[in-house]
Amino acid sequence: MIATENLSHRFSNGRLGIDGITLSIGAGEFVIIAGPNGSGKTTFIRHLNGLLKPTGGRVLLDGVDVVRDVVRARQMVGMVFQDPDSQIVGETVYGDVAFGPENLSLDRVEINKRVTESLQAVGLFHLADQRPHLLSGGEKRRLAIAGVLAMRPKVVVFDEPFSSLDYPGVQQVLQQIVSLHQSGHTILVTTHDLEKVIAHAGRLILLAGGSVVRDGQPGIVIKEAEAFGVREPCVSRLGLEVSSWLN
Amino acid sequence: MAELTNFGFRAGRSIPHGLDARFKLLFLVLISLASLKAGLWAMLLLSGGMLWMLSDARLSLVAVLRELRYFLILLVVVFAARALAAPGDAVFIFEPITITRQGLVDGVMVCWRLLLMVFLGLVLTATTRPADIRAAVEWILKPIPIVSAKRIGTMMGLIMRFIPVIFNQARETAEAQRARGVENRKNPAYRLTKLGIPLIRRTFENADRLIVAMESRCYSENRTGPDLMSTRRDWAALLVIITLSLLMIFL
Repeated sequence: MIATENLSHRFSNGRLGIDGITLSIGAGEFVIIAGPNGSGKTTFIRHLNGLLKPTGGRVLLDGVDVVRDVVRARQMVGMVFQDPDSQIVGETVYGDVAFGPENLSLDRVEINKRVTESLQAVGLFHLADQRPHLLSGGEKRRLAIAGVLAMRPKVVVFDEPFSSLDYPGVQQVLQQIVSLHQSGHTILVTTHDLEKVIAHAGRLILLAGGSVVRDGQPGIVIKEAEAFGVREPCVSRLGLEVSSWLN
Repeated sequence: MAELTNFGFRAGRSIPHGLDARFKLLFLVLISLASLKAGLWAMLLLSGGMLWMLSDARLSLVAVLRELRYFLILLVVVFAARALAAPGDAVFIFEPITITRQGLVDGVMVCWRLLLMVFLGLVLTATTRPADIRAAVEWILKPIPIVSAKRIGTMMGLIMRFIPVIFNQARETAEAQRARGVENRKNPAYRLTKLGIPLIRRTFENADRLIVAMESRCYSENRTGPDLMSTRRDWAALLVIITLSLLMIFL
Protein backbone atom coordinates (compact mmCIF):
# COMPACT_ATOMS: atom_id res chain seq x y z
CA MET A 1 0.00 0.00 0.00
CA ILE A 2 2.73 2.50 1.01
CA ALA A 3 6.16 2.33 -0.53
CA THR A 4 8.98 4.80 -0.12
CA GLU A 5 12.00 4.66 -2.40
CA ASN A 6 15.18 6.29 -1.17
CA LEU A 7 13.09 9.05 0.43
CA SER A 8 15.09 12.06 1.57
CA HIS A 9 14.23 15.54 2.74
CA ARG A 10 16.60 18.43 3.30
CA PHE A 11 15.12 21.55 4.90
CA SER A 12 15.71 25.03 3.53
CA ASN A 13 18.28 25.69 6.28
CA GLY A 14 20.36 22.79 4.96
CA ARG A 15 19.53 20.34 7.75
CA LEU A 16 18.81 16.79 6.64
CA GLY A 17 15.41 15.65 8.00
CA ILE A 18 15.32 12.13 6.58
CA ASP A 19 17.92 10.34 4.54
CA GLY A 20 17.33 7.60 2.00
CA ILE A 21 14.40 5.77 3.60
CA THR A 22 13.24 2.77 1.59
CA LEU A 23 10.47 0.62 2.99
CA SER A 24 7.03 -0.74 2.20
CA ILE A 25 3.99 -1.06 4.41
CA GLY A 26 1.23 -3.48 3.47
CA ALA A 27 -2.53 -2.98 3.79
CA GLY A 28 -3.84 -3.69 7.29
CA GLU A 29 -0.45 -3.49 9.01
CA PHE A 30 -0.04 -1.89 12.45
CA VAL A 31 3.34 -0.19 12.44
CA ILE A 32 5.10 1.82 15.13
CA ILE A 33 7.73 4.30 14.04
CA ALA A 34 9.88 5.09 17.04
CA GLY A 35 12.86 7.29 17.61
CA PRO A 36 14.09 10.09 19.84
CA ASN A 37 13.22 13.75 19.22
CA GLY A 38 14.73 14.95 15.94
CA SER A 39 15.07 11.44 14.51
CA GLY A 40 12.84 12.30 11.55
CA LYS A 41 9.55 10.60 12.54
CA THR A 42 7.30 13.58 11.86
CA THR A 43 9.23 14.58 8.75
CA PHE A 44 8.81 11.05 7.39
CA ILE A 45 5.06 10.78 7.97
CA ARG A 46 4.40 14.21 6.49
CA HIS A 47 5.64 12.88 3.16
CA LEU A 48 2.97 10.17 3.16
CA ASN A 49 0.15 12.58 2.32
CA GLY A 50 2.16 15.24 0.54
CA LEU A 51 2.41 17.78 3.35
CA LEU A 52 6.13 17.76 2.64
CA LYS A 53 7.60 17.17 -0.79
CA PRO A 54 10.66 14.94 -0.99
CA THR A 55 13.94 16.52 -1.98
CA GLY A 56 15.02 13.05 -3.05
CA GLY A 57 13.25 9.76 -3.78
CA ARG A 58 9.49 9.29 -3.81
CA VAL A 59 6.44 7.95 -1.98
CA LEU A 60 4.00 5.63 -3.73
CA LEU A 61 0.45 4.97 -2.53
CA ASP A 62 -0.96 1.90 -4.26
CA GLY A 63 1.63 2.52 -6.96
CA VAL A 64 0.78 6.20 -7.55
CA ASP A 65 3.34 8.86 -6.67
CA VAL A 66 1.98 11.12 -3.91
CA VAL A 67 3.30 14.25 -5.63
CA ARG A 68 1.26 13.46 -8.74
CA ASP A 69 -2.07 13.46 -6.91
CA VAL A 70 -1.89 15.15 -3.54
CA VAL A 71 -5.67 15.31 -2.96
CA ARG A 72 -5.93 11.53 -3.46
CA ALA A 73 -3.03 11.03 -1.05
CA ARG A 74 -4.69 13.20 1.60
CA GLN A 75 -7.92 11.25 1.27
CA MET A 76 -6.10 7.93 1.48
CA VAL A 77 -3.78 8.85 4.35
CA GLY A 78 -5.50 10.56 7.27
CA MET A 79 -3.23 12.24 9.78
CA VAL A 80 -3.89 12.86 13.46
CA PHE A 81 -1.44 15.45 14.72
CA GLN A 82 0.29 15.72 18.06
CA ASP A 83 -1.51 18.89 19.18
CA PRO A 84 -5.27 18.53 18.70
CA ASP A 85 -5.86 22.19 19.57
CA SER A 86 -4.10 23.18 16.37
CA GLN A 87 -5.88 20.52 14.32
CA ILE A 88 -9.48 21.20 15.30
CA VAL A 89 -10.84 23.95 13.06
CA GLY A 90 -14.62 23.78 13.59
CA GLU A 91 -16.61 26.04 15.88
CA THR A 92 -18.49 22.96 17.05
CA VAL A 93 -17.66 19.25 17.26
CA TYR A 94 -20.02 18.56 14.36
CA GLY A 95 -18.61 21.43 12.30
CA ASP A 96 -15.07 20.19 12.78
CA VAL A 97 -15.80 16.66 11.57
CA ALA A 98 -17.69 18.10 8.59
CA PHE A 99 -14.68 20.23 7.59
CA GLY A 100 -12.90 17.47 5.61
CA PRO A 101 -15.94 16.17 3.69
CA GLU A 102 -16.94 19.78 2.88
CA ASN A 103 -13.48 20.29 1.36
CA LEU A 104 -14.12 17.26 -0.84
CA SER A 105 -17.27 19.06 -2.12
CA LEU A 106 -19.52 16.17 -1.12
CA ASP A 107 -23.26 16.78 -1.01
CA ARG A 108 -24.82 17.69 2.31
CA VAL A 109 -26.61 14.34 2.76
CA GLU A 110 -23.34 12.43 2.38
CA ILE A 111 -21.54 14.88 4.69
CA ASN A 112 -24.17 14.44 7.40
CA LYS A 113 -23.95 10.65 7.03
CA ARG A 114 -20.16 10.63 7.33
CA VAL A 115 -20.13 13.03 10.28
CA THR A 116 -22.73 10.99 12.15
CA GLU A 117 -20.87 7.72 11.51
CA SER A 118 -17.50 9.19 12.49
CA LEU A 119 -18.80 10.76 15.70
CA GLN A 120 -20.53 7.52 16.64
CA ALA A 121 -17.33 5.57 15.94
CA VAL A 122 -15.38 7.65 18.47
CA GLY A 123 -18.28 7.97 20.94
CA LEU A 124 -18.69 11.73 20.64
CA PHE A 125 -22.06 11.95 18.91
CA HIS A 126 -23.73 13.22 22.09
CA LEU A 127 -21.32 16.18 22.05
CA ALA A 128 -22.03 17.18 18.44
CA ASP A 129 -23.06 20.75 19.36
CA GLN A 130 -20.32 21.22 21.96
CA ARG A 131 -17.58 23.81 21.41
CA PRO A 132 -14.28 21.93 20.88
CA HIS A 133 -12.19 23.87 23.38
CA LEU A 134 -14.50 22.67 26.16
CA LEU A 135 -13.60 19.01 25.52
CA SER A 136 -11.10 17.06 27.62
CA GLY A 137 -7.68 16.11 26.22
CA GLY A 138 -8.83 12.57 25.35
CA GLU A 139 -12.04 13.84 23.77
CA LYS A 140 -10.08 16.32 21.64
CA ARG A 141 -7.87 13.50 20.32
CA ARG A 142 -10.98 11.44 19.55
CA LEU A 143 -12.49 14.43 17.77
CA ALA A 144 -9.32 14.77 15.70
CA ILE A 145 -9.65 11.05 14.84
CA ALA A 146 -13.30 11.54 13.86
CA GLY A 147 -12.29 14.44 11.61
CA VAL A 148 -9.88 12.12 9.82
CA LEU A 149 -12.34 9.19 9.67
CA ALA A 150 -14.90 11.35 7.89
CA MET A 151 -12.47 11.50 4.96
CA ARG A 152 -12.71 7.67 4.73
CA PRO A 153 -8.94 7.06 4.68
CA LYS A 154 -7.36 3.63 4.18
CA VAL A 155 -4.35 4.58 6.28
CA VAL A 156 -4.46 6.51 9.55
CA VAL A 157 -1.23 8.03 10.84
CA PHE A 158 -0.95 9.12 14.46
CA ASP A 159 1.83 11.53 15.41
CA GLU A 160 2.65 11.08 19.12
CA PRO A 161 -1.00 10.31 19.96
CA PHE A 162 -0.46 9.87 23.71
CA SER A 163 1.48 13.03 24.54
CA SER A 164 -0.04 15.11 27.37
CA LEU A 165 -2.79 12.57 28.07
CA ASP A 166 -3.67 11.07 31.43
CA TYR A 167 -4.20 7.31 31.84
CA PRO A 168 -7.93 7.30 30.91
CA GLY A 169 -7.14 9.57 27.95
CA VAL A 170 -4.43 7.17 26.73
CA GLN A 171 -6.84 4.25 27.06
CA GLN A 172 -9.57 6.06 25.11
CA VAL A 173 -7.24 6.95 22.26
CA LEU A 174 -5.57 3.52 22.24
CA GLN A 175 -8.99 1.87 22.09
CA GLN A 176 -9.82 3.97 19.03
CA ILE A 177 -6.55 3.07 17.34
CA VAL A 178 -7.07 -0.65 17.99
CA SER A 179 -10.69 -0.46 16.76
CA LEU A 180 -9.56 1.24 13.56
CA HIS A 181 -6.98 -1.48 12.98
CA GLN A 182 -9.58 -4.17 13.60
CA SER A 183 -11.89 -2.52 11.07
CA GLY A 184 -9.23 -2.92 8.39
CA HIS A 185 -7.33 0.38 8.46
CA THR A 186 -3.58 0.45 8.09
CA ILE A 187 -2.19 2.12 11.19
CA LEU A 188 1.06 4.03 11.63
CA VAL A 189 1.93 5.42 15.05
CA THR A 190 4.97 7.57 15.76
CA THR A 191 6.13 7.61 19.36
CA HIS A 192 9.15 7.61 21.62
CA ASP A 193 7.11 5.92 24.34
CA LEU A 194 6.70 2.31 23.21
CA GLU A 195 5.10 0.91 26.35
CA LYS A 196 1.60 2.26 25.67
CA VAL A 197 1.11 0.80 22.23
CA ILE A 198 3.72 -1.87 21.47
CA ALA A 199 1.42 -4.74 22.55
CA HIS A 200 -0.85 -4.06 19.57
CA ALA A 201 1.74 -3.51 16.84
CA GLY A 202 2.87 -6.04 14.29
CA ARG A 203 6.00 -4.16 13.25
CA LEU A 204 8.44 -1.73 14.83
CA ILE A 205 10.61 0.64 12.82
CA LEU A 206 13.37 2.57 14.61
CA LEU A 207 14.59 5.84 13.17
CA ALA A 208 17.77 7.61 14.16
CA GLY A 209 19.39 10.57 12.45
CA GLY A 210 16.76 10.50 9.71
CA SER A 211 17.44 6.88 8.67
CA VAL A 212 15.81 3.54 9.38
CA VAL A 213 18.15 1.72 11.75
CA ARG A 214 15.96 -1.27 12.67
CA ASP A 215 12.78 -2.69 11.12
CA GLY A 216 11.08 -5.88 12.22
CA GLN A 217 9.03 -7.78 14.78
CA PRO A 218 8.39 -5.63 17.87
CA GLY A 219 9.50 -8.39 20.24
CA ILE A 220 12.92 -8.52 18.56
CA VAL A 221 13.52 -4.87 17.64
CA ILE A 222 12.49 -3.62 21.08
CA LYS A 223 15.58 -5.23 22.63
CA GLU A 224 17.78 -2.84 20.63
CA ALA A 225 15.65 0.28 21.14
CA GLU A 226 17.73 1.81 23.92
CA ALA A 227 20.83 1.85 21.73
CA PHE A 228 18.94 4.33 19.54
CA GLY A 229 17.51 6.58 22.26
CA VAL A 230 14.14 4.89 22.78
CA ARG A 231 13.33 3.48 26.21
CA GLU A 232 12.63 -0.24 26.39
CA PRO A 233 9.52 -0.93 28.50
CA CYS A 234 10.31 -2.22 32.02
CA VAL A 235 8.53 -5.53 31.59
CA SER A 236 10.48 -6.19 28.40
CA ARG A 237 13.74 -5.55 30.26
CA LEU A 238 12.66 -8.17 32.78
CA GLY A 239 12.11 -10.61 29.95
CA LEU A 240 8.32 -10.53 30.23
CA GLU A 241 5.78 -9.91 27.50
CA VAL A 242 4.49 -6.32 27.30
CA SER A 243 0.77 -6.28 28.08
CA SER A 244 -1.84 -4.00 26.60
CA TRP A 245 -2.81 -0.79 28.37
CA LEU A 246 -6.38 -1.74 27.61
CA ASN A 247 -6.30 -4.70 29.99
CA MET B 1 -11.73 28.22 29.94
CA ALA B 2 -11.62 31.71 28.50
CA GLU B 3 -14.40 32.71 26.19
CA LEU B 4 -15.68 35.90 24.67
CA THR B 5 -19.08 35.03 26.05
CA ASN B 6 -20.65 32.12 27.89
CA PHE B 7 -23.58 32.44 25.52
CA GLY B 8 -22.41 30.21 22.78
CA PHE B 9 -24.96 28.20 20.82
CA ARG B 10 -27.27 26.03 22.92
CA ALA B 11 -29.35 23.43 21.16
CA GLY B 12 -33.10 23.87 21.63
CA ARG B 13 -36.53 23.85 20.04
CA SER B 14 -37.62 27.45 20.60
CA ILE B 15 -39.01 29.65 17.82
CA PRO B 16 -35.72 31.61 17.44
CA HIS B 17 -33.89 28.26 17.18
CA GLY B 18 -36.05 27.26 14.25
CA LEU B 19 -35.53 30.42 12.18
CA ASP B 20 -33.11 30.81 9.28
CA ALA B 21 -29.90 32.61 10.30
CA ARG B 22 -30.21 35.09 7.40
CA PHE B 23 -33.64 36.17 8.63
CA LYS B 24 -32.38 36.48 12.18
CA LEU B 25 -29.56 38.79 11.04
CA LEU B 26 -32.10 40.84 9.08
CA PHE B 27 -34.39 41.03 12.15
CA LEU B 28 -31.48 42.28 14.24
CA VAL B 29 -30.82 45.08 11.75
CA LEU B 30 -34.51 46.03 11.41
CA ILE B 31 -35.17 46.17 15.14
CA SER B 32 -31.92 48.04 15.79
CA LEU B 33 -32.86 50.71 13.24
CA ALA B 34 -36.47 50.94 14.45
CA SER B 35 -35.39 51.29 18.07
CA LEU B 36 -33.61 54.55 17.19
CA LYS B 37 -37.06 56.09 16.68
CA ALA B 38 -38.81 54.18 19.47
CA GLY B 39 -40.59 55.99 22.30
CA LEU B 40 -41.55 54.74 25.75
CA TRP B 41 -44.46 52.50 24.68
CA ALA B 42 -42.52 51.04 21.78
CA MET B 43 -39.59 50.25 24.07
CA LEU B 44 -41.97 48.57 26.54
CA LEU B 45 -43.38 46.52 23.66
CA LEU B 46 -39.90 45.52 22.50
CA SER B 47 -38.80 44.70 26.05
CA GLY B 48 -41.84 42.46 26.47
CA GLY B 49 -40.98 40.70 23.22
CA MET B 50 -37.38 40.31 24.37
CA LEU B 51 -38.38 38.77 27.68
CA TRP B 52 -40.64 36.33 25.84
CA MET B 53 -37.77 35.37 23.50
CA LEU B 54 -35.39 34.83 26.42
CA SER B 55 -37.94 32.63 28.10
CA ASP B 56 -38.73 30.73 24.89
CA ALA B 57 -35.01 30.11 24.30
CA ARG B 58 -34.66 29.05 27.96
CA LEU B 59 -32.10 31.73 28.74
CA SER B 60 -32.03 32.97 32.31
CA LEU B 61 -32.39 36.76 32.65
CA VAL B 62 -30.16 36.71 35.73
CA ALA B 63 -27.47 34.74 33.85
CA VAL B 64 -27.65 37.19 30.95
CA LEU B 65 -27.31 40.19 33.29
CA ARG B 66 -24.38 38.50 35.04
CA GLU B 67 -22.79 37.92 31.65
CA LEU B 68 -23.26 41.60 30.84
CA ARG B 69 -21.91 42.95 34.15
CA TYR B 70 -19.01 44.83 32.51
CA PHE B 71 -21.31 46.16 29.82
CA LEU B 72 -23.66 47.42 32.56
CA ILE B 73 -20.78 49.47 33.97
CA LEU B 74 -20.35 51.01 30.53
CA LEU B 75 -24.07 51.80 30.49
CA VAL B 76 -23.77 53.61 33.83
CA VAL B 77 -21.02 55.77 32.30
CA VAL B 78 -23.17 56.46 29.23
CA PHE B 79 -26.14 57.32 31.46
CA ALA B 80 -24.05 59.70 33.58
CA ALA B 81 -22.64 61.40 30.50
CA ARG B 82 -26.14 61.90 29.04
CA ALA B 83 -27.63 63.05 32.34
CA LEU B 84 -24.90 65.62 32.86
CA ALA B 85 -24.54 66.84 29.28
CA ALA B 86 -28.11 67.36 28.09
CA PRO B 87 -29.57 70.86 28.55
CA GLY B 88 -33.01 71.26 30.14
CA ASP B 89 -34.85 71.63 33.46
CA ALA B 90 -32.46 71.15 36.35
CA VAL B 91 -33.48 68.52 38.93
CA PHE B 92 -30.19 68.53 40.84
CA ILE B 93 -27.60 71.28 41.06
CA PHE B 94 -24.28 70.92 42.80
CA GLU B 95 -22.00 73.49 41.14
CA PRO B 96 -20.57 72.94 38.62
CA ILE B 97 -22.67 69.75 38.13
CA THR B 98 -26.23 70.08 36.86
CA ILE B 99 -28.46 67.10 36.19
CA THR B 100 -31.47 67.81 34.00
CA ARG B 101 -34.79 65.99 33.65
CA GLN B 102 -34.31 65.75 29.88
CA GLY B 103 -30.82 64.37 30.46
CA LEU B 104 -32.13 61.66 32.80
CA VAL B 105 -34.87 60.67 30.33
CA ASP B 106 -32.43 60.73 27.43
CA GLY B 107 -29.88 58.66 29.38
CA VAL B 108 -32.46 56.04 30.34
CA MET B 109 -33.68 55.70 26.74
CA VAL B 110 -30.19 55.42 25.24
CA CYS B 111 -29.10 52.82 27.80
CA TRP B 112 -32.36 50.90 27.38
CA ARG B 113 -31.84 50.77 23.59
CA LEU B 114 -28.25 49.65 23.90
CA LEU B 115 -29.16 46.99 26.43
CA LEU B 116 -31.96 45.61 24.23
CA MET B 117 -29.65 45.45 21.22
CA VAL B 118 -27.07 43.49 23.20
CA PHE B 119 -29.84 41.19 24.46
CA LEU B 120 -30.91 40.61 20.86
CA GLY B 121 -27.33 39.78 19.90
CA LEU B 122 -27.08 37.28 22.74
CA VAL B 123 -30.35 35.63 21.71
CA LEU B 124 -29.03 35.35 18.15
CA THR B 125 -25.77 33.80 19.38
CA ALA B 126 -27.46 31.39 21.75
CA THR B 127 -30.03 30.17 19.22
CA THR B 128 -27.95 29.98 16.04
CA ARG B 129 -25.15 27.54 15.25
CA PRO B 130 -21.91 29.43 14.51
CA ALA B 131 -21.72 27.59 11.18
CA ASP B 132 -25.17 28.97 10.26
CA ILE B 133 -24.15 32.55 11.17
CA ARG B 134 -21.04 32.07 9.04
CA ALA B 135 -23.16 30.69 6.19
CA ALA B 136 -25.55 33.66 6.45
CA VAL B 137 -22.67 36.13 6.27
CA GLU B 138 -21.26 34.23 3.27
CA TRP B 139 -24.68 34.41 1.61
CA ILE B 140 -24.92 38.17 2.25
CA LEU B 141 -21.39 38.80 0.91
CA LYS B 142 -21.74 36.51 -2.12
CA PRO B 143 -23.11 39.12 -4.57
CA ILE B 144 -20.35 41.60 -3.72
CA PRO B 145 -17.65 41.46 -6.39
CA ILE B 146 -13.96 41.13 -5.45
CA VAL B 147 -14.86 39.94 -1.92
CA SER B 148 -14.26 36.19 -1.43
CA ALA B 149 -17.27 35.25 0.68
CA LYS B 150 -15.98 31.70 1.30
CA ARG B 151 -12.63 32.98 2.52
CA ILE B 152 -14.26 35.49 4.84
CA GLY B 153 -16.58 32.74 6.11
CA THR B 154 -13.60 30.49 6.84
CA MET B 155 -11.81 33.35 8.60
CA MET B 156 -14.90 34.04 10.73
CA GLY B 157 -15.11 30.39 11.68
CA LEU B 158 -11.43 30.25 12.62
CA ILE B 159 -11.72 33.43 14.70
CA MET B 160 -14.67 32.00 16.62
CA ARG B 161 -12.74 28.76 17.11
CA PHE B 162 -9.40 30.25 18.13
CA ILE B 163 -10.23 33.27 20.28
CA PRO B 164 -10.84 31.05 23.34
CA VAL B 165 -7.57 29.21 22.61
CA ILE B 166 -5.62 32.49 22.41
CA PHE B 167 -7.26 33.74 25.63
CA ASN B 168 -6.23 30.51 27.36
CA GLN B 169 -2.68 30.88 26.14
CA ALA B 170 -2.59 34.49 27.35
CA ARG B 171 -3.81 33.36 30.76
CA GLU B 172 -1.24 30.53 30.93
CA THR B 173 1.60 32.87 29.92
CA ALA B 174 0.49 35.50 32.45
CA GLU B 175 0.30 32.88 35.23
CA ALA B 176 3.74 31.51 34.34
CA GLN B 177 5.16 35.03 34.54
CA ARG B 178 3.39 35.77 37.83
CA ALA B 179 4.94 32.57 39.20
CA ARG B 180 8.31 34.13 38.39
CA GLY B 181 7.51 37.43 40.10
CA VAL B 182 6.61 39.64 37.15
CA GLU B 183 4.30 41.61 39.47
CA ASN B 184 7.39 43.05 41.16
CA ARG B 185 8.07 44.92 37.94
CA LYS B 186 5.95 48.07 38.06
CA ASN B 187 6.60 49.23 34.51
CA PRO B 188 3.44 48.30 32.54
CA ALA B 189 5.28 48.58 29.20
CA TYR B 190 7.82 45.99 30.38
CA ARG B 191 5.07 43.62 31.55
CA LEU B 192 3.06 44.09 28.37
CA THR B 193 6.12 43.34 26.23
CA LYS B 194 6.96 40.23 28.25
CA LEU B 195 3.39 38.98 27.88
CA GLY B 196 2.80 40.06 24.29
CA ILE B 197 5.90 38.73 22.56
CA PRO B 198 5.63 35.08 23.67
CA LEU B 199 1.87 35.17 23.12
CA ILE B 200 2.23 36.45 19.56
CA ARG B 201 5.00 33.90 18.91
CA ARG B 202 2.80 31.04 20.16
CA THR B 203 -0.16 32.31 18.16
CA PHE B 204 1.88 32.35 14.95
CA GLU B 205 3.29 28.88 15.67
CA ASN B 206 -0.25 27.61 16.22
CA ALA B 207 -1.31 29.28 12.97
CA ASP B 208 1.47 27.38 11.16
CA ARG B 209 0.28 24.08 12.64
CA LEU B 210 -3.30 24.96 11.77
CA ILE B 211 -2.37 25.54 8.12
CA VAL B 212 -0.71 22.12 7.95
CA ALA B 213 -3.75 20.47 9.57
CA MET B 214 -6.12 22.22 7.14
CA GLU B 215 -4.00 21.19 4.16
CA SER B 216 -3.98 17.65 5.47
CA ARG B 217 -7.79 17.68 5.31
CA CYS B 218 -7.79 18.92 1.70
CA TYR B 219 -8.75 22.54 2.47
CA SER B 220 -10.18 24.26 -0.57
CA GLU B 221 -12.29 27.37 -1.11
CA ASN B 222 -14.38 25.34 -3.51
CA ARG B 223 -16.11 23.48 -0.71
CA THR B 224 -19.64 22.50 0.21
CA GLY B 225 -21.47 25.32 1.97
CA PRO B 226 -24.07 24.83 4.69
CA ASP B 227 -27.69 24.42 3.69
CA LEU B 228 -29.76 27.53 4.31
CA MET B 229 -33.47 27.07 3.75
CA SER B 230 -36.18 29.58 4.44
CA THR B 231 -39.58 28.27 5.41
CA ARG B 232 -43.01 29.81 5.77
CA ARG B 233 -42.20 30.33 9.45
CA ASP B 234 -39.29 32.65 8.49
CA TRP B 235 -41.54 34.74 6.22
CA ALA B 236 -44.24 34.90 8.89
CA ALA B 237 -41.62 36.03 11.41
CA LEU B 238 -40.44 38.67 8.93
CA LEU B 239 -44.00 40.00 8.69
CA VAL B 240 -44.23 40.17 12.49
CA ILE B 241 -40.86 41.94 12.79
CA ILE B 242 -41.75 44.48 10.07
CA THR B 243 -45.05 45.20 11.83
CA LEU B 244 -43.27 45.50 15.17
CA SER B 245 -40.67 47.83 13.65
CA LEU B 246 -43.38 50.06 12.15
CA LEU B 247 -45.22 50.10 15.48
CA MET B 248 -41.98 51.07 17.22
CA ILE B 249 -41.46 53.94 14.82
CA PHE B 250 -45.02 55.32 14.91
CA LEU B 251 -46.17 54.40 18.44
